[in-house]
Amino acid sequence: MDSSSSFAVECRRLPLALLLAAIISPTPAFAHASDRGHVLLLPTGYYLIGGAFAVAVSFLVLALLPADRLDRFWRRRLPLFSFNDGARTIVSLSSFAGFAILIAAGLLGSRDPLSNPLPLVIWTLLWAVVTLLQGMFGDLWSWLNPWYGPWRLLSRLIGMSEEASTRLPRWLGCWPAVALFFAFAWFELVDPAPDDPARLAVAAGLYWLFTFAAMLMFGYGRWSRSGEFLGIFLSMLARFALAGRDEAGRLGLCWPGAKLLAAEPLPPSGIAFLLLALSSVSFDGLSKTFFWLALFGINPLEFPGRTAVIGSGTSGLVVTFLLLAGVFLFAVWLGQLLAGSDQPLSRAAGLLVWSIVPIALAYHVAHYLTALLVDGQYALAALSDPFALGWNLFGTADMQVEAGIVAGADSAWWLWNVQAGVIILGHVLAVLVAHGFAWRLHPQPSRAALSQFPLTLLMIAYTVFGLWLLATPTVG
Amino acid sequence: MTDKNGFFDLSKSTLSRRTVLKGLAAGAGLAMAPGFVRYSQAQSSAPIKIGFQSHRTGIGAAYGRWYEKTSAAAVKAINDAGGISGRPVELVIEDDGTDPARGAEVVAKFAKQHKTDIVFGTLFSHVVIGSAPAAGENKIPYFVVSEGHHVASTKLNRYVFQPGITDVKSQIQSMAPWIAANAGKKVTQIFPDFAFGYDHRDYLPPALKAQGADVIAQIAIPPTESSFTKYFPQIPAETEVIYHVMVGPAVLTFVKELGEFYGSNRPQLFGFMDSLEATDINSPGLEFLDGSHFWEGSPRYAQADDSAAQKAYRAAVGIDDNGAAVGDPKDVSTASHMFGCWETLYVVKKAMEDAGYKGPEDRAKLVEATEALTEFAEGPEHPQGAKTFNGKIHQCFGIQNISKVEGGKLKVVHKTKIEDGLYEAEGDYTTQAL
Repeated sequence: MDSSSSFAVECRRLPLALLLAAIISPTPAFAHASDRGHVLLLPTGYYLIGGAFAVAVSFLVLALLPADRLDRFWRRRLPLFSFNDGARTIVSLSSFAGFAILIAAGLLGSRDPLSNPLPLVIWTLLWAVVTLLQGMFGDLWSWLNPWYGPWRLLSRLIGMSEEASTRLPRWLGCWPAVALFFAFAWFELVDPAPDDPARLAVAAGLYWLFTFAAMLMFGYGRWSRSGEFLGIFLSMLARFALAGRDEAGRLGLCWPGAKLLAAEPLPPSGIAFLLLALSSVSFDGLSKTFFWLALFGINPLEFPGRTAVIGSGTSGLVVTFLLLAGVFLFAVWLGQLLAGSDQPLSRAAGLLVWSIVPIALAYHVAHYLTALLVDGQYALAALSDPFALGWNLFGTADMQVEAGIVAGADSAWWLWNVQAGVIILGHVLAVLVAHGFAWRLHPQPSRAALSQFPLTLLMIAYTVFGLWLLATPTVG
Repeated sequence: MTDKNGFFDLSKSTLSRRTVLKGLAAGAGLAMAPGFVRYSQAQSSAPIKIGFQSHRTGIGAAYGRWYEKTSAAAVKAINDAGGISGRPVELVIEDDGTDPARGAEVVAKFAKQHKTDIVFGTLFSHVVIGSAPAAGENKIPYFVVSEGHHVASTKLNRYVFQPGITDVKSQIQSMAPWIAANAGKKVTQIFPDFAFGYDHRDYLPPALKAQGADVIAQIAIPPTESSFTKYFPQIPAETEVIYHVMVGPAVLTFVKELGEFYGSNRPQLFGFMDSLEATDINSPGLEFLDGSHFWEGSPRYAQADDSAAQKAYRAAVGIDDNGAAVGDPKDVSTASHMFGCWETLYVVKKAMEDAGYKGPEDRAKLVEATEALTEFAEGPEHPQGAKTFNGKIHQCFGIQNISKVEGGKLKVVHKTKIEDGLYEAEGDYTTQAL
């Protein structure tokens, strides 16, 4: 697994909430009748039922299909062409140069998060777009990451062998990446100002340095598999892509998820990592719902800001993960019990957790779609003038950002349909992937189907939950 | 660049929006770092730096975007016409995340790090209230465009001003004569059950009483509610006017369900545009509003009798005849509020020029010069209309618009008088030490 870029958490002292607001009584506020308002008028309830039905039916259809025929079909591959890794260093070095410029822009450029390219590139182009591309076209990040090139260059210059002297203990698995991913999710979802250009520059810059030092110490490959969370996340998604290279470096097209079939069971740390990736995106949606805010007595129409919800946000992030992990492991355990399997739970869970990948990818797309459409435009404009010096490098600096692209009832309708479609498709594919693994775990078809029953119920519930998150009233 | 009529002609200008916002660069703050040869504020060519506390992210982002557009357009117009006392104006943006605690940090940052001359542009009341103490502590004039009554209540401090937009108490009060005379005498109020709704709950009944009308029922809706049908039976049958000020994503549902409840035989409806700012009035679900009336700060739709100043303002900000972004018809503006940014910046210009303002050392003089202002004439600098200013309570008073939803547009049918919105001052900031 190759990997790369990102951020660390910068824990700052938190500003004291100002109490004056409570003392002065009349405080008008303007909660915008946002585009979610249009979604509230759509018959979203039918979509929830339809989505659940689609996932249930796909389970039944798969249970009736002869597994070996499905497997043969799924493994079909269309080879395209071969290419070697010659340009990888130079691509990564260019990426590193771009990253360094962005960090400088974060520190010295505009203070406006919608004019400075750093937050726009990291939160929109990297976290939303690259993730999507990775899930569709394979492991681009192993080339694009800003560590491989500098690491290779430096290790050549100082004559360091590619195998590092310091070894990480085997039991460590990818627990460092789990901890770092949690820190990243916390920064994105809970920190008061993750969009602040300078704050983000410090966080991302420190993470780059930390990762680079770890790669020098433990070896590029080892740390990419153990600690660099972004690369681990993206390479997991790449397993789902429609394209990929085989061992001989030959690029080919394949069915989505086909590469997952060859996957080995993930260790406990890998299981935790994937579940955390999904639970954190789900929590991002959940934390903005009126339902969640009402639990903490927060008025969503006068949302007090992120500094006021750090406690509930932090605990929510942890609890969502624990709940998802608990329910997932229980479903796998129950499935094994129903199938009368003597396979260890860790092996079954380690294989079946791969079925989370298409769900995580679907959530990512659905969740960031609107932000991508608008902030993507801001990003294009900002990249032309990274330091707010009046440059127009790519001719896009003065482009009009059309915020209307996501506004109004028509946009709300098609955005909702795309999002709902993606979520349902993601879960159907998850059922398919789980089915493939169940067959690997239980060659006897009836047992395989039985073992999948609890997990399928979980998938159905998660489909409904995911659609509900997109349909229910939210802040902003 | 102004033409012979004194209006802004952008076609002759070479300054782009980004040039106006060039001062956004954080690097500019470094020039003020200790040990650096100080860039003299007194230098005649040094820019006036205005710290723009902006809701770029968070719950206020839809408003923030339009406040930014309007402010950038105003600064560009001011610069094209020679700036303030011959000095160019620079906007330095800091995002407050629509978060009161961050708001206070941002104000302090403007004062200490960016060393801006003033802080400007805050909308959300809880952010204004959270940030105001920081403005007082740092003795930096803080010009908000919030519409809240908090400034005029004199419960903030001497450094906080609201000279470009009227406050909600004045707005509500000035609606009463028209409602009583034209809509009906028996009014039922439906409002969200928190501070925003309470302003309407508290200020409307006495104002209506003075006009010989009555609020016969007040229905408070919990803020997290997303279905309203169960509240409608509480509306008394003799209701002649429903006065509604719902806000948030469920507004469309509210209107739709109200329409389903009444059908074609409904009482008069009167609302505040706050409910539908940045939202297309022709959205599905809002059909029931046809023929109803709204308060508007500044009209969203171009009117047949728009003044030349109003037309020039709309062109400069970039809104079309439907109040949406030119070239992006679905991006509906926050017309009822954002004009306040434009007008506030011209008040700042006037006060700075009156004070002979040179730099941060003259901030106290700027406060006094602002307090000495009494009226603003309608024109390019105040396209929404004439205003008076009460220096003791740091609040302006102006005309309001009452618009009727007609043929899918909002048509202004009545403009209130400034006097309709005047009320007894509740205190006097000028007695506070500077």
